[in-house]
Amino acid sequence: MLPGPLALIAEITHRCPLHCVYCSNPLQMAAASSELTTEEWVGVFRQASKLGVLHLHLTGGEPLARTDLTQLVDAAHAAGLYTNLITSGIGLSESRLTPLVKAGLDHVQLSFQNSRESSADWIAGTRAHALKVELAPMICRSGVAFTINMVVHRQNLDHLEEMIALAESLHPDRLEIAHVQYYGWAFKNRDALLPTRKQVNDSLRIVSVAQERLAGRIHIEAVVPDYYARYPKACMGGWGRQQLIIDPAGKALPCHAAGVIPGLRFDTVREHSLEWIWQESNAFQKFRGERWMPEPCRSCDRRGMDFGGCRCQAFLVAGDAASTDPACSLAPKHPLIEEVVARVNASSDSADNAPHGGEKIDSLWSYRPQPGQ
Amino acid sequence: MPRPQDSSQPRLAAGCRWAGEGEKRILLFPEGALKLEGTGHAILERCDGQRSFRQIVDELQVLYSASEPEKVRSDVGGFLERLQQKRVVDF
Repeated sequence: MLPGPLALIAEITHRCPLHCVYCSNPLQMAAASSELTTEEWVGVFRQASKLGVLHLHLTGGEPLARTDLTQLVDAAHAAGLYTNLITSGIGLSESRLTPLVKAGLDHVQLSFQNSRESSADWIAGTRAHALKVELAPMICRSGVAFTINMVVHRQNLDHLEEMIALAESLHPDRLEIAHVQYYGWAFKNRDALLPTRKQVNDSLRIVSVAQERLAGRIHIEAVVPDYYARYPKACMGGWGRQQLIIDPAGKALPCHAAGVIPGLRFDTVREHSLEWIWQESNAFQKFRGERWMPEPCRSCDRRGMDFGGCRCQAFLVAGDAASTDPACSLAPKHPLIEEVVARVNASSDSADNAPHGGEKIDSLWSYRPQPGQ
Repeated sequence: MPRPQDSSQPRLAAGCRWAGEGEKRILLFPEGALKLEGTGHAILERCDGQRSFRQIVDELQVLYSASEPEKVRSDVGGFLERLQQKRVVDF
């Protein structure tokens, strides 16, 4: 029998006050008017718990943009789910957090764009950094688990030590050094965001020193960005194997970026039960298990570890979702990744192009806009 | 962070909690879940912020009286230290 999913990632809205240039939301975002209602989400959470889901990750967009967030957390908690709020912090206040914690919120994950305010705001496309710093003590006091997520890329990696020092001063339980993954807006802005090899190597050293220094105080998670890794990441823990994503309009996806893959049919929780979707939906069946695998995956000893990498990346980079993730050094299409990496490393473009003194550099990248109404 | 002292009072860290009942009881925390059996379960269910490390060790030494008492003490300390580094336990 097919094991049920362990985690549900609920993108409860694509609305967001930030415009981060690396946002993993699709280029075609779900309009506010198409969002699932409170009752529809509550139904999804109950079904998820029955299917065996343990963790619910409430994300977006900015989940705080939903005025019914406390009701959603309350229902998720009542259904027995461990509830995680992934937030930019914008919209959070003591009067918003207290009821959320009372409703059973277990964990808050607060993202930062940089250690330096002007550069952080430049990456987010709005003024947000100072507020995030202010929110941290309130989250600490609230009694939930507190994770700081530092999203890193070429434009801020040179400040990594400073970013870790900032995180340290805010006393989270956990710190994630999250390299940008190249989907959605990040793929569009890849040439400005992909770090250099030197930055990646330096960051590994800096992280390992910090891990040792902060052991027992802050648990640091960091992953080598897959463009520089030898083997691909086990995207989503395997396609349709452990996790599912529901987008704001109720569309069920095996991976955040799966919408880019042509020919997949996605079903929605408005039309089908979560159990049916998990077991029968075309999109989930398509790359589940090993039958779809080409060589070199099919005979590779690592196929049970990385599951052939990411299908969306295979499509975005190699044009074929059923090919080995080109991030894998064994993939026939790996030269496509090497080419991008070589281009970025040859570029004389310095890291950190943050404007100083009011000048604007818009040509470097595209900001993520707001979804339509 | 060193191993727990005799007087330390281990407890689950913020945002880490039990779910389910009886055999199906699991420990939930931000990035995962632990299904604990045997010794691990016996240790963690005693991490209530009331019992001291010394008391927990004493109780475990009774529970596992066939094992060398010093080994039980060292195993419990090592287990709690590892979970403390994962920020699942505080003491």
